[in-house]
Amino acid sequence: MTLLAQAVPPGAVDIARARGTHDAQGGLYLESWIYQGLDALGLEFPFEEWVLIAVTLLVVCGLVFGFINLFALFAVWLERKVSAHMQCRLGPMEVGPHGLLQTLADGIKLTVKEDIIPRVADKPLFILAPIIVFTGILIRFVPLPFGQGLVASDLDLGLFFVAAVGSVEVIGVIMAGWASNNKWSLFGTIRTATQMVSYEIPIGIAFVAVIVCAGSFSLMEIVNVQQGWFWHWLVFRNPFLLILSLIYLIASLAECKRAPFDLPEAESELVSGFHTEYAGMRFALFFLAEYAAMYLVSAVAVVLFFGGWWTGIPAIDDIGLAADDSALTVMVGFLVKAGVFVTKAVFLVFIQMWVRWTLPRVRLDQMMHICWKVLLPISLVCLVGSTLWELMTGGGAFFGIPALFGFR
Amino acid sequence: MTVGQYFSDIIRVARSIAIGMGITLRYFIHWKKNTITIQYPRERDLIPPRHRGIHYLETEKCVMCWKCSDICPVDCIYIEGTRGADGVLKGGYRGQKATLSKFTIDYTVCIFCGLCEEPCPPKCIFLGPEFDYNATDRTMMEKNLLTDEVFTEEDDRFVEWARGENDRLVAEKKKAADEEKAKAAAAKAAGVAPAAKPAAAAPAAKPPEASS
Repeated sequence: MTLLAQAVPPGAVDIARARGTHDAQGGLYLESWIYQGLDALGLEFPFEEWVLIAVTLLVVCGLVFGFINLFALFAVWLERKVSAHMQCRLGPMEVGPHGLLQTLADGIKLTVKEDIIPRVADKPLFILAPIIVFTGILIRFVPLPFGQGLVASDLDLGLFFVAAVGSVEVIGVIMAGWASNNKWSLFGTIRTATQMVSYEIPIGIAFVAVIVCAGSFSLMEIVNVQQGWFWHWLVFRNPFLLILSLIYLIASLAECKRAPFDLPEAESELVSGFHTEYAGMRFALFFLAEYAAMYLVSAVAVVLFFGGWWTGIPAIDDIGLAADDSALTVMVGFLVKAGVFVTKAVFLVFIQMWVRWTLPRVRLDQMMHICWKVLLPISLVCLVGSTLWELMTGGGAFFGIPALFGFR
Repeated sequence: MTVGQYFSDIIRVARSIAIGMGITLRYFIHWKKNTITIQYPRERDLIPPRHRGIHYLETEKCVMCWKCSDICPVDCIYIEGTRGADGVLKGGYRGQKATLSKFTIDYTVCIFCGLCEEPCPPKCIFLGPEFDYNATDRTMMEKNLLTDEVFTEEDDRFVEWARGENDRLVAEKKKAADEEKAKAAAAKAAGVAPAAKPAAAAPAAKPPEASS
């Protein structure tokens, strides 16, 4: 306790009191809300400072976790509907309107199922693996915004953090496959390691190109660079970034183990790969992690290339941004931006599903071919090209075409 | 692999992916038109008129000749009663020529071959359109055709409903076929009429559509 109290910088309360409930970008400070509420009532916060920090962290973590759960509920339903309609079926129709609550029923079923651990499995690793996989995804949500000013923590090296912590998931997956003591799980594990390590490279190069153009690692800053008409989105900044955005979308499919790169859990070859032996809640954690990863890579793509929370039309974007706007207008603008951001991300998730139910699974050597012989050289060329373009044109938006006609 | 091949491969792959995704998107958008699923208990497909399902017995006609039970390849029909007797057995049913006390079919055994229909002299046993028959107990799979006591009232209501639904589907199909015919006839009539007015075919085909 003492150690934690020392770790909190002195004067955190004063900072929280002084900086107000939200910043210029409309970002909310939870702990400041608590303090200002107490001040308004004429009360003192009855505990030490670290209690407040801990409570705030817990609340933020709970909010993100709740969002992931809600999203997974919706996305699983959407996936089943998308696949069904593409195959002339109806999909779930019984629970709730058009089967909307089917996932909830399935989730309840999973929670009450028997927790099976194979006798020959490596028990501690087996128990730890789903936790590590899920935590590896959850941590990546820390610098990820959900709307303007709506972020758990705006890290200065946010993009770097997302890329670096992404590798934690691989460890969990390898652990799961190894601990299961099952040859199919082990095959899935080896494939996962190969795939995720390989595909991190094109993703990293796409990140670097974006950082060069945006001039910042912070996800919030990268979004702010793209304010204005939609041609200020980084995807339209130059032709190389357009190609890099496609490369990122392809590589992110492999990164979250979705078809056509779902070799780690290929149903027709490996039963279900690294989570073959898992049942009940542990399986549910893997499942949740997969859908959280889908949202995460889509949201990162929205931040990097597709303008984040900006709609691309300044008249809508400027709602609630002026200094003299009323609290209601600020709130409306805040909600609109959060809605726009999540909608864009969900649309990219839909594209992932669309790809999954269209394309067959690639072979392992084809997958390696795509990564090392196609995506990597092209992304390197695009990185160089995008940097040179940036140097020569000074960052003209939409290939510099609107600037020719005098548009901002 | 030459450089040209490398890039043409990429373009070829991108093109084929685009075609495939176009097809799935088309199916996704027009899902209402394309769906072939029938939501079974609530919707039903057309049952053909000669469908062999659960048996029905017209008790008044039955002469208790045992022919159905004799021909049954799996011996699933059990009949008890007296033939030509005037007295009514306890719990029995008085038919025209016989007094039946039991006419039971064991549906755990029956293979729905329909052979029992054929030798029946008064044609009083036949296989109906109902096929969904279930029970919580093996003994309950023996259906007593005299009293129908295995079917609950709810089952009976359902059977009534299913028959109505089937009739409706048959009528719909017939109507559609008639409309097709009418349309074809109208088109033919328009073709025979002076060729100067090809537009006449459209109004001629309208009335049957409007009546539906």
